Parts: sequence; C-alpha cells; structure tokens
Amino acid sequence: MTIPSAPLLNLTGIQAGYGEINVLWGVDLTLARGEITALVGSNGAGKSTLMRTLSGLIVPTAGRIDWAGEDLCGQSPAQILARGIAHVPEGRRLFSSMNVEDNLLMGAYARKEPRAAIRRDLDRVYATFPKLHERLGQAAGTLSGGEQQMCAIGRGMMSAPRLLIIDELSLGLSPLLVEQLVEALRSLNREGLSILVVEQDVITALELSTSAFVMDMGRIVQSGRSAELMHDPAIRSAYLGALAA
Amino acid sequence: MLILQILLNAIVLGSLYACIAAGFSLVWGVLNVINLMHGSFIVLGSYLAWGAYKALGVAPWTSLLIAAPVFFILGYGIQRGVLNRVIAAPVLVTLTLTFGLDLILNNAMLVAFKADYRQLVLDPSLGSLSVGSLVVPVDRIVAMIFSLLLTLALFFVLRRSRVGRAIVAVRMDRDAARLMGVDVPSIYATAFGLGTAMAGCAGVLLAMIFPISPIASGSYLGKAFVVCVLGGLGSVPGAVVGGLFLAIVESFGSLVLGPENAVTLSFGLLIVFLIVRPQGLLGKRGFE
Repeated sequence: MTIPSAPLLNLTGIQAGYGEINVLWGVDLTLARGEITALVGSNGAGKSTLMRTLSGLIVPTAGRIDWAGEDLCGQSPAQILARGIAHVPEGRRLFSSMNVEDNLLMGAYARKEPRAAIRRDLDRVYATFPKLHERLGQAAGTLSGGEQQMCAIGRGMMSAPRLLIIDELSLGLSPLLVEQLVEALRSLNREGLSILVVEQDVITALELSTSAFVMDMGRIVQSGRSAELMHDPAIRSAYLGALAA
Repeated sequence: MLILQILLNAIVLGSLYACIAAGFSLVWGVLNVINLMHGSFIVLGSYLAWGAYKALGVAPWTSLLIAAPVFFILGYGIQRGVLNRVIAAPVLVTLTLTFGLDLILNNAMLVAFKADYRQLVLDPSLGSLSVGSLVVPVDRIVAMIFSLLLTLALFFVLRRSRVGRAIVAVRMDRDAARLMGVDVPSIYATAFGLGTAMAGCAGVLLAMIFPISPIASGSYLGKAFVVCVLGGLGSVPGAVVGGLFLAIVESFGSLVLGPENAVTLSFGLLIVFLIVRPQGLLGKRGFE
C-alpha cells in the first residue's frame, strides 16, 4: 500500500505478548500524518495487544517502532506519552471515584506547561464534549457508557498528543452515540490530530477512517484505503457478513 | 455526666486513632502492602518528640515540623530502595519483608532506648479545661486538634494536589495511571513516605499522652489494623469514622466490662466486622 503523506509512525516486525505467550507475530504497519487510520479485526486478533505495545505497557520482544526517527521499543508509557502518543484504552479505564474534571486533569499529569495552557485544553475538551462540562463534578464511574467514552477521549486529548489511539471506540454504545463520537473525532482530525482507531465494528471503522489495516492471528493481513477496503469482496465476506450477502 | 465525659475522652482518643490509621490505610490501599513497621514508626516518632523536648526544649507540636519531613524521607527511601523491589510479589512477601524490617527497627530502638517506659512531661503543664463537671487535660485537646489537622491535611493532599490525584489514580488503576505518564514506583514511594510521615507525626502527638516504649508498637499496629477494617480500607474518612467508632466502643466497653477487656473488645469487633461487613462502615472505595 502506498501512503501519500509523510509517515507519522512506522512499525516493523513487531513481536510481543504476555510472558511466554506470543500474540503479535511480526506486525508491520505505517500510519500517515494527519489521517484517521483504522485497525480492524475480530476478537482475539491482537489489536489491543498491539496498542498496549505501542503505548509502552508491553515491551516488544522484536521489531522496531519508528517515531520521528526514534525507536520507541523499550520506552516507558511516560516517555512514549511525552513523545506525543496518547492511548485511550479498551474499556475506557477511567478513575471511577474521581470526578470528570479530575480525570481530565490526570490526562495532563505529565505536562509541565503553565496552568493557563492546561485550562485552555480543558475548555477545548468541554467544547468538543459539552456533556462533560455538565457533569464535571460527577464521579466518572457514575457516567453513562457514552459519557465515559467522551471522558476517556477527553482525557487522552488533555496530554496534547500528536497521535491519539482509541481502542474499541464503539464497544457497548448506541449507534447515535457512536455517530456523535465519530463527528467529534473528525473535528479533532480536521484540527490536525492524527488518530488510530481500533474497532471490531468494521463499518464504523472504515467509514470514519482514510486508511485501514486488517489484523488476524497477530498479523496484519490486509491494508489499504478505507473506501477501497469497504468494497473488497474478501473483507465484505469476512467482516461485513449479512451486508455482503 | 459520666457518659458525656466518656464520650469526650473517646472523641479525643478516636482522633488519635484516625491519625494512626490514615497512613496505614493509605499504604495498604495504594500499595497493597500491610506495613508491619507502622507501629514502630509511631514509637520512633514518640522518641523524636521526647528527645527533642528533653534535649532542646522543643514542644511536641513544633517537633511535628521536623517529624513530617524526616519520616517522609525515611519512608520514601525504604519504599524506593527496598519494597519497590518486591512490590509485584504476592502480599505475603511484602508482609514478611516489613515484618523483618520491623524486627530490625524495633530491636534497634530497644538497644538505643531500652524497654523502660519514658514519659514526655510538659513543664509547665498545660493544665485542664473544665466545662461544668467535664474535665479534659489541655495536652489531650492539643493532640486531638493536631491529629485532626494532620488527617485533614492528608485528605486535601490526596483530593486536591497533583501528586494526590496520581496516588488515587494508581490505587484505582495502575496501568491507566501509567498511560497518563505517572511514574508508578515514584508514586508508591511517595505514598509510603506520606504513610510513614503520618505514623511519625501520630507518634509525636501520642508522646504527649502515653508512655513511650518500643513494646507499644504492637499495640499501635493493632489499632491501625482494626480502624482500617472498621472504617473501610482505602479512605481518610474511613480512618476517621473507624477511629472514632473504635474509641467509643472501647471507652464504653471499658466502663461496662472493665478496662482490662478493652483490647479483647477491639479485636472481637475486628472479627465481627471481618465476618459481617468486611468492607467496613464506609465501604471499599477509591482512596480520597
């Protein structure tokens, strides 16, 4: 696949897993700068493991994660975050007893900038997700699923990232809520933020993204422009089931 | 009037219990470490207050300014240098390690200070406060006020400060906290340092009321343990509620059953709570 714009992130031969169990078997993946990219695949394909590897929660056993000429392999999550990669994990993983605003401020924990800059980004999150402003003093654990996802994305935005990774954007959410989140992500992307969305819902992922990668059994098995993949017979039969028929 | 007097004494005692338990609860809640050194840190704090008063004439409440940073650094160093190396091991490993470290610390205090009871006697005495027939020694009121202030300070550090939010975040979800850029080993050390500082400061305040001896450490550790279970592990309000509850039960239980049964009563209460309401009075929530 050819990527027209300059690559933002380049993964080569990534192998990783949990202890002695290997999950990723030589993943190659290139993200274009300023684009929304989707990573799709069935449950257990290794998508979340790849995201955890990207953000430093798992140290790869082989391969290279190239980010602006630097290899991120072996760097801590704090170092990777400082480089500009924020990870919204699967299941949102909010700090449930903390209120919404404290959760968002935790997103800016590693930033050394003046309070005014952090306040400005907080206001930006509230402008993107006005629901969060209405709930800023509410414990995050008591929010609805959609509001929790907004809070998790907002928390990711608060680190002022260059690449935002969102693992399972639509999991457990109604189509209407997913549409709102998709709109918010498009708006953030228009402002220059590169986004990598990991999704089981292939239609949502391909409609949202410019390019996409398909993962299976710990490997990238297909990649291309999302619009083209949407009409690919193999993708349609494997992932779009009823629609293909 | 007797009931009111007992209640008043219980509130004073309960606030000290809260101060003893808040740091223990913080360490247990955040690090999942049952710190068996906590009682010895309290006794060491008492010796610091006693020594500072005897040698330099420094009042115990002024000694708090020395005890807080000294014990914080001590706790931070122990966590960073020793406990962090085994923090991922099962809780029995850290329990055994703190047991071993406690043996060293406690026996070092026995060598340094002997097992004789020491008493910090303020001269001149602060006297007593009387309201009607109720009488409370002023040193106890001072100890209560500082205990509550310290506990409140810990509450606000955890609730309002950047490092406090990080401690709470690590307690709730360590991996999510790492994704926010939190240096988890450093936060562990900070939480252990805060817990140790609370123990040392509690010791300073207890020195104003109780005799000082290394053998008292087991009793303080037991109180901390019971208060955490009664109030609910993992919160400062839990420590306050648990501390007051234990002191009230002990005080009124002593009246009915005799003071010799106070310890039996508190541990009996511990067993009842572990069976009936293991989450404690306030429940098991995030540390806040």
